[in-house]
Amino acid sequence: MGANQSGLGGPGGPGGGPGEEKKKEKKKWQPPPPPQRVGKKLKKKGIDGATRLPDVAPASKCLLRKLKLERVKDWLLMEEEFVTNQERIKPHTERAADDQSKVDELRGSPMSVGNLEEIIDDNHCIVSSSSGPEYYVSIMSFVDKSQLEPGCSVLLHNKTNAVVGVLADDVDPMVSVMKVDKAPLESYADVGGLEEQIQEIKEAVELPLTHPELYEDIGIKPPKGVILYGEPGTGKTLLAKAVANSTSASFLRVVGSELIQKYLGDGPKLVRELFRVAEDMSPSIVFIDEIDAIGTKRYDSNSGGEKEIQRTMIELLTQMDGFEARGDVKVIMATNKIETLDPALLRPGRIDRKIEFPLPDVKTKRHIFGIHTSRMNLSEDVNMEEFVMAKDELSGADIKALCTEAGLLALRERRMQVTHDDFSKAKEKVLYKKKEGVPEGMFM
Amino acid sequence: MVVRSADPKAGVAKLAMETMRSEIKSATSSMTSVPKPLKFLRPHLQTLKDTYAKLKPGENKKLLADIISLLAMTDAPIDDAMPESLKYRLLGSNEDIGTWGHEYVRNLAAEIGTEFHRRQDESAKEGKDADVEDLMGLVSEVIPFHMKHNAEPEAVDLLIEVERLDLLAPHVNEGNYARTCLYLFSCSSYLPEPEDSEVLKVAHEIFLKVGKLTDAMRVACRLGLQDYMEKTFLASKDKLEKRQLCYMLARHGHPLRLDEGPCEIEDGDELEELQIIMSNSNLSANYLTLARDLDVMEAKLPEDIYKTHLMEGRAPAGAAVDSARANLAATFVNAFVNAGYGQDKLLTASEGDTEGEGASSGAGSNVSWIFKNKDHGKMSAAASLGSILLWDVEDGLPRVDNYLYSMEQQVVAGGLLAVGLINVNVRNDCDPAYGLLYESVNKENSSVRIGAIMGLGLAYAGCQKEEVQELLVPVVTDDSTPIDVAAFAALSLGLVFVGTCHEECVQAIVQALMLRPEKDLEDPFAHFLCLGLGLIFLQRQGEVEATLEVAKTLPPRISDFLQVTLEACAYAGSGNVLKVQALLARCGEHPELDGDDANEGADSESQEWKYDPQSIAALGVALIASAEELGSDMAVRAYDHLIQYGDAAVRKACPVGLALLHISNPKLNVTDVLGRLSHDSNEDVAQAASLALGIVGAGTNNARLASQLRQLSSYYYKDPSLLFLVRVAQGLVHMGKGLLTLSPSHSDHSLHSNVALAGLITVAFAMLDMKHTILGKHHYMLYYLFVAAQPRMLMTVDEEGKPLPVAVRVGQAVDVVGQAGRPKTITGFQTHTTPVLLSAGDRAELATEKYIAIASVLEGVVILKPNPEWIEEKE
Repeated sequence: MGANQSGLGGPGGPGGGPGEEKKKEKKKWQPPPPPQRVGKKLKKKGIDGATRLPDVAPASKCLLRKLKLERVKDWLLMEEEFVTNQERIKPHTERAADDQSKVDELRGSPMSVGNLEEIIDDNHCIVSSSSGPEYYVSIMSFVDKSQLEPGCSVLLHNKTNAVVGVLADDVDPMVSVMKVDKAPLESYADVGGLEEQIQEIKEAVELPLTHPELYEDIGIKPPKGVILYGEPGTGKTLLAKAVANSTSASFLRVVGSELIQKYLGDGPKLVRELFRVAEDMSPSIVFIDEIDAIGTKRYDSNSGGEKEIQRTMIELLTQMDGFEARGDVKVIMATNKIETLDPALLRPGRIDRKIEFPLPDVKTKRHIFGIHTSRMNLSEDVNMEEFVMAKDELSGADIKALCTEAGLLALRERRMQVTHDDFSKAKEKVLYKKKEGVPEGMFM
Repeated sequence: MVVRSADPKAGVAKLAMETMRSEIKSATSSMTSVPKPLKFLRPHLQTLKDTYAKLKPGENKKLLADIISLLAMTDAPIDDAMPESLKYRLLGSNEDIGTWGHEYVRNLAAEIGTEFHRRQDESAKEGKDADVEDLMGLVSEVIPFHMKHNAEPEAVDLLIEVERLDLLAPHVNEGNYARTCLYLFSCSSYLPEPEDSEVLKVAHEIFLKVGKLTDAMRVACRLGLQDYMEKTFLASKDKLEKRQLCYMLARHGHPLRLDEGPCEIEDGDELEELQIIMSNSNLSANYLTLARDLDVMEAKLPEDIYKTHLMEGRAPAGAAVDSARANLAATFVNAFVNAGYGQDKLLTASEGDTEGEGASSGAGSNVSWIFKNKDHGKMSAAASLGSILLWDVEDGLPRVDNYLYSMEQQVVAGGLLAVGLINVNVRNDCDPAYGLLYESVNKENSSVRIGAIMGLGLAYAGCQKEEVQELLVPVVTDDSTPIDVAAFAALSLGLVFVGTCHEECVQAIVQALMLRPEKDLEDPFAHFLCLGLGLIFLQRQGEVEATLEVAKTLPPRISDFLQVTLEACAYAGSGNVLKVQALLARCGEHPELDGDDANEGADSESQEWKYDPQSIAALGVALIASAEELGSDMAVRAYDHLIQYGDAAVRKACPVGLALLHISNPKLNVTDVLGRLSHDSNEDVAQAASLALGIVGAGTNNARLASQLRQLSSYYYKDPSLLFLVRVAQGLVHMGKGLLTLSPSHSDHSLHSNVALAGLITVAFAMLDMKHTILGKHHYMLYYLFVAAQPRMLMTVDEEGKPLPVAVRVGQAVDVVGQAGRPKTITGFQTHTTPVLLSAGDRAELATEKYIAIASVLEGVVILKPNPEWIEEKE
């Protein structure tokens, strides 16, 4: 900030006649440089606020909104025209390039990276270099002081160790991994049945991002998050994938256990970081799979690990519905043990919708069989109805396993077609495996 | 069923269609997906259409048309043809439109709009009126449906599209008038010129219909049409309501004549009472009640404002600074801080102590402070008495009287100015100000003349008093009067006849501009002549054109300047984007100075005036954008660019413009920007920014701003002129001890008082040329700010006009236009007991149901009447 001013004020003074005298007078006393503000917090609101576009009030579609938006557009066009004209008259880039080369010269090379320990006054601070010792050094005037804060990484001059630049505090690499760049292949069409669930999740997650005015029209706040629960293999993750596939919002996925970290405080920090990134990239959807890893009920525990996990959950609680308003960030969670979750996590406001995924009924089963067998070579004699109508409790995943198993059996016998017999055998196998480990007789 | 519907037998076909209809109607599904029957029928659309074409006219045909109309909704519209859905709707059976659901009606409304425009375009090509009879029939069905189903905005949208807003009024009732009119009202600021007043007129009609006269008056004030105001006033039958209307008109600075003309009131007592209200005569009393209630009666010294003990580092050392400047600053701070209280510690304190000994000794000690100031300072010092006694005509004038007979001309001039200040925004039957001032207008001494002329301008701002015109026009036109006197006379004329396009005044000023020798026009005060002319055209938009043409013929020295001034003033508050564009373009120019070597000192000095129109253009952006929120937000952005790219002349106008956008409204981002500019290396910019900080925070007591200014004062401790400005700014921030506001907008930011705006523009112009005005000998121009000063209070009075304390909730206003249900209008509120202070962006609502407020917007003075349905709760 400070550096720019001297550059801009230059052309202002074709002082003229009486200016001569005044100039002499001025030599005697020059105002000291304006006081600087150090620290990030201030910057965030002040400068951004000045350049941000104003909000346009009614979110519903109406003429007033159109007119207002048009007005904003007009102003922006005028700004653009003005700026382009000015640039044409007085190219800005040239000057900027000049300054840049000067700054580069001052910076010198090679630079080293250090850590800002403490700010002493406007121009001095203590840094610790990577090799160990701490130095009392000066801060160059062109460094953006509003970005300096204790603990950040700074660029140091190679000889004098003066601070010559600030390294942007990068996003935790852990979080960037979570971002789903490539949309998963599964779409809504791949979900068998679950029509109600799809509708609910669309209403709760997708619509608020695409058509916020629908909610405003009716005068309600859109839900913030949903939890998907139900038996294993009923399609919770699949549905989340389908959401990621269909939406253009950025999609972050985490597994609950990922949030458990080795060091104290790392877990909550990761959660914070996650939501900060989500807000930066908003509109966005955060999907936390297997939330029971961190979201179990709180209880008195002596183990430090337990406590840490609970703290991570508390951080999650405040991020979801804390004091600071989250913008367009929607949260989807999935678990198969909803009863173990902390009630605070499930209260409306954090999780507004609980979507149950039941075991498929007959109709759905038929649909799922249809999806899985549609790309299989089936022999004539296969009668799917038999499996569909069977009373066994089959989840979607079971059906998939069944089909795969049947296919494998056919492969084993080097047949190009899957017969009904294969399916029967496969079913027995799958069902047997499912019950495996559960001591028989306990339920008998 | 599709096949069946084509069945030759009428009965079968009918049955098929009935089934189809009931299927469609009963199909409900989530808002995301298309209803099943529609999905299914969609591929058959073409078949159905063919069937329709084949079908014989009759009931069946109509039924089928209905179905096709609905189905066609899912079709993409085709260019340059009538939308299908609409076409079949017109062909179908005209049964109740609502039975097909909301979505259908909405779609239909959209199609009507496009079709209407298409037909209009077409017929425009052929040069005849469009035939829209059939559409109108449909419109009159759609409107009641929308109005009944809480979709007022949509109804209004449709009517605006088809340009038939007059259809709206019959459908408005008690339940939905508020939402409808709020929507109309906020639309009007964004519609192009003829339509906006059209919309407002409809809103006015609706308010009149439902008997909300105070709202109707707001709309009338917004329209600025005398006969609408009169109509509203006449519509009021209730005594209390009439009084409330008077309060509103008084706040707006637009009094009606009650003793004669259309609004004549027969009853003598009532007339008197209404006139007292209308003339603001009780403003002083109300203000003092507020002050007493808030316990801020005790006068403050300038030192209380400076709070030097809070400053770290260098305090401005007395000896180093120009002591005359310091005294002058103290005078102004004292005047601003104790404005309206009738007492202070510099000028009047001793008076109170020695009351028993008579006025003469009191006057003696007053004089002592006045004489501490040097020559021209005395004028301001004497005038500051006027600001301290602001609005208090009865008691104030005798106390100023002494100075009018002083030996020193400067003191006399100050006294005359004080007389004007006392009468600012207050009208008295016996016109004491005119009586006292008119003699001095033609005195020898030019400062006395200026004092008297300025006093007249202040006292009768917005009154359109013919006598003033008769008195001042000769002063303006007379070649022999010094230019500064003439300039002040023009300004006063501008203030008195603000926004009226008064013929004779315009001619007088134009004539003066034409006849004055070139040398006079070089004087900085020639600019104020132009401003005087501009003020007369304030907010008159197109009516300025003729004068603009004249302006082009003037000598080049002044011509450009006058043109820009006129445009900026005439379109002030209109939000006209085209004008802003033109002004921005002008700011973007970098005029080449004549002569080969522009940088040579003497040469560029004489050419500098070429930059002046640019300053005004930069200021004009703020003026035009100031009326509505969106525009002012965007203008702040535009200023960002101006600061970055503009020349010195543009840059120095930027802080002033920013201040005009946020009068008495210290938003964080603006104070930040101004704070940065106040450290600018260019002195002009820094000076303007320092004072702008004061205007932005005027009367808010904003602690953040106060500390910012304190820092600034220690920063500039060696620069007397900047220090002076910072001091004045400090005084402004604590203006009226935080009870006053300078903002011209009132009634929920929907109305802008012309008079207040005029005063502010005058000071803004002065800020562009600090060296010759505020920092020169004419620092008393700062007193023009008092034209805009109003107590920022909410005061509730009972039916008798006595203050009535009730609980009110005060919080930040929320824009609720077009929102569903009954959204809260304020947020983050606190409950207080009246009288309370309202800061910018605040809104109040009654917290009890014991009383009903007569005005819909709680601001200024509001009359309450007891709620007949209120039942006292028993413990």
